[in-house]
Amino acid sequence: MSGAFEPIVGRYLTLQLLGRPHRLYVEEAGQGTPLLCLHTAGADTRQWRGLMNDPEVTRDYRVIAFDMPWHGKSSPPAGWQTEEYRLTAADYSAMTLAVADALELEKPVVIGCSIGGRIALVFAIERPERFRAIIGLQSGATIDPYYELTWLHHPAVHGGEASAAYVSGLMAPTSPDAERWETLWHYMQGGPGIFKGDLYFYRGADGDIRERLAAIDTRRCPLYLLTGEYDYSVSPQDTQAAAERIPGVKFSVMPKLGHFPMSENPALFLSYLKPVLAEIKAGAA
Amino acid sequence: MALPLETLKARAAGNALLARFGRDLDLALLIGDGDLDWLVEIERGAVVRVTQGPLIMPKTDLRLRAASETWARFLEPVPPPGYHDLFAMRRYRRIQIEGDIRLMSAYLFYIKQLFALLRPSEATA
Repeated sequence: MSGAFEPIVGRYLTLQLLGRPHRLYVEEAGQGTPLLCLHTAGADTRQWRGLMNDPEVTRDYRVIAFDMPWHGKSSPPAGWQTEEYRLTAADYSAMTLAVADALELEKPVVIGCSIGGRIALVFAIERPERFRAIIGLQSGATIDPYYELTWLHHPAVHGGEASAAYVSGLMAPTSPDAERWETLWHYMQGGPGIFKGDLYFYRGADGDIRERLAAIDTRRCPLYLLTGEYDYSVSPQDTQAAAERIPGVKFSVMPKLGHFPMSENPALFLSYLKPVLAEIKAGAA
Repeated sequence: MALPLETLKARAAGNALLARFGRDLDLALLIGDGDLDWLVEIERGAVVRVTQGPLIMPKTDLRLRAASETWARFLEPVPPPGYHDLFAMRRYRRIQIEGDIRLMSAYLFYIKQLFALLRPSEATA
């Protein structure tokens, strides 16, 4: 064989989600403590390949990611053609916990980025007993609506190119070209209206959880928040504002990274993440 | 440093990203750099004319205006966070974006690339 397989293995998981049958695409690599990875709005598991391909990470952690329904290689549920996709906090939380249960993950570490970073805060509020530790990337408790969503799903505009162009500036200008454009390709491949539907969770009825952050008890479950300095969707100041409401949270800014740390510059991101993973491992020992 | 728009036509000529993302684009783009207005006319994806103001009642599809100090920071080889992208400038209310937002959304990669080409590090040989 002249090619080289990566250690990542992907399979399809059939399960009930929100009362309906679903077929989800799940990837994993490594062994040890389960590390459940949640992708950003309008993207898919490919964002996590830097983690899954890092031998130091996979030596101690079983890294698992799934494409949310409607994303990547996970199909929408039957009947999708007459529905408008709109993510809510309750559905997002229920789906993530259902996948963890279906895979029989015992107290995984969860790491989520962007909308995944928001649901990480929701888990810290509502379900700390389910996780060994929670890591939020680009986590904010609310968001400043600085652009109009209409054009992300409109018959006269290519939704993939528009969504990718809308998020393109969220990455650090110093991130490698190849990784930046790979990240954008994932956005270009998103299903019609899906990025916009994910943002409903960000901007809709669940869009402001600032007042709920005081309920977080980091003694029950450690909470880490890491934010790339070039992100203007969830800026370091936005995460800082959330962190100030949470006693015991560990917050740090990641210089020279933006909104997609794990995929825009995996090597640099791992240099910030590995100490966190080591600390979680030491705490569990 | 002011936006070097007098050089835009030469910088844009033959640019591969503009060619890829500018398919069938016709656009009259007004760019405001402080008090100075420029009109950039694009036909079928090519920058055909760049006119320095003052402009007398120009017909425009899209208007992007920012303070000269904002553009100066945007032009830095590695711009600081919040100045590195048109939408970053929008988030912090440093740029005014008006006009045909549908057209802008359809061609946003092209428009962002036009501005990126103005950085000194992108100067054409």
